[in-house]
Amino acid sequence: MELDCRGMRCPIPIIKLAQSLKTTSDVRLLSDDPATFPDLTAWARMTGNTFTQINNETFDVRRSD
Amino acid sequence: MGSVTRFQTEAPLHPAAAEFLGDAFARGWADPSKIHQESRKVALLLNEAKEVYCQHLGIRHEQINFLGEPSLGFHLGISGLITSNSTLYHSAVDRSEVFAVASGIRSEVLPVDITGQYLVPTGTHNDLITYQSINGETGIPGTVPLSFAGKVFIEASPLISLPQKWSSALWDARSWNGPDGLGILAIADKGWVNPLPHNDSRVTPGSFSTPLVIAGAIALENFVREFNEHESKIRALNSKIRNFLITQIGDVDIAGDLETALPHLLSFSLLYVDAQLLIDELDKSGYAVDSGSACNAMNMQPSHVLAAMGLLTHGNVRMTLRADHTELEVDKFLSVLKDLITKIRR
Repeated sequence: MELDCRGMRCPIPIIKLAQSLKTTSDVRLLSDDPATFPDLTAWARMTGNTFTQINNETFDVRRSD
Repeated sequence: MGSVTRFQTEAPLHPAAAEFLGDAFARGWADPSKIHQESRKVALLLNEAKEVYCQHLGIRHEQINFLGEPSLGFHLGISGLITSNSTLYHSAVDRSEVFAVASGIRSEVLPVDITGQYLVPTGTHNDLITYQSINGETGIPGTVPLSFAGKVFIEASPLISLPQKWSSALWDARSWNGPDGLGILAIADKGWVNPLPHNDSRVTPGSFSTPLVIAGAIALENFVREFNEHESKIRALNSKIRNFLITQIGDVDIAGDLETALPHLLSFSLLYVDAQLLIDELDKSGYAVDSGSACNAMNMQPSHVLAAMGLLTHGNVRMTLRADHTELEVDKFLSVLKDLITKIRR
């Protein structure tokens, strides 16, 4: 699924991402908040989930099961 | 309005220094370079203050310079050692003043790992590297660039001894509860050249206040003594907070390890928590803390220190622990914090 968080500030994109991952295992996150990349990096380390950065505003996130 | 328990970096001026300053400003102040009796007394006090700085900071009399604008010391200390074929290597967790100086010269940012350490490059004798003896956000000591071939600029602290090899070093008196507006710049490298427009041999613009220099020395002596006396108590409080965060709150990213970090600073980030909201709520409950999260920064950018270390930048809380904080105060704070986070995360 695609989760469009553009225009939203931290920590909202990460909160919405975590909510989405409860129902699906793959999320394409769109976010233009400057904290999203560092926060995704830390979040992935803390939760064991993984992500790939596609471009400045696009991140493919996968839940670890 | 109830009382506020402060866990913030802005420490009040040390009472002993405040008492001295009140007296100094009340009596007026004499120019130590003149020869009146009062001036001689001031010259003597200034000399004693220099001794205190030299002893506590590990520098020599001829190396010491006072600055009325501490931030200017980054430019003086770094640019004064840079030549046309130098490269400046600096840490990704250095202060923004270092980034500002670096933007005007050939430079390279050294990435840090999650413990805040960089890999020391080899460098040449023309090059300069920065060494931050303690990071002001996290309390984590920087990497000592022992193997670096070139010069070393230090953002120094009285709590960490200078390494054997250094070229210039800068201290801010606020780091020891000294007065605002006082920097100490020490220059050890004979090749240092004043980067400011100048027409005499002075290293700094000489814009410092003599009463502040003396008050800063009084604060320094007291700070170091009190730190040593109370270090184990502060370490125990820090350890208590860390344990509580991990076992009672969870989903928390704590900067550094208490084994290596200085105990009076603590930075942690809470997953799924809006720092602005948390800090406002803590404030309403009578607790003042700092934050490095974007929503709290003037430029709306997340803390470059947290980002460079790969730590969570949202939900960040920064606490400064002091000897006068009690275990009861910390316990009450933690209980309020836990309730607020439960509410915010719901």
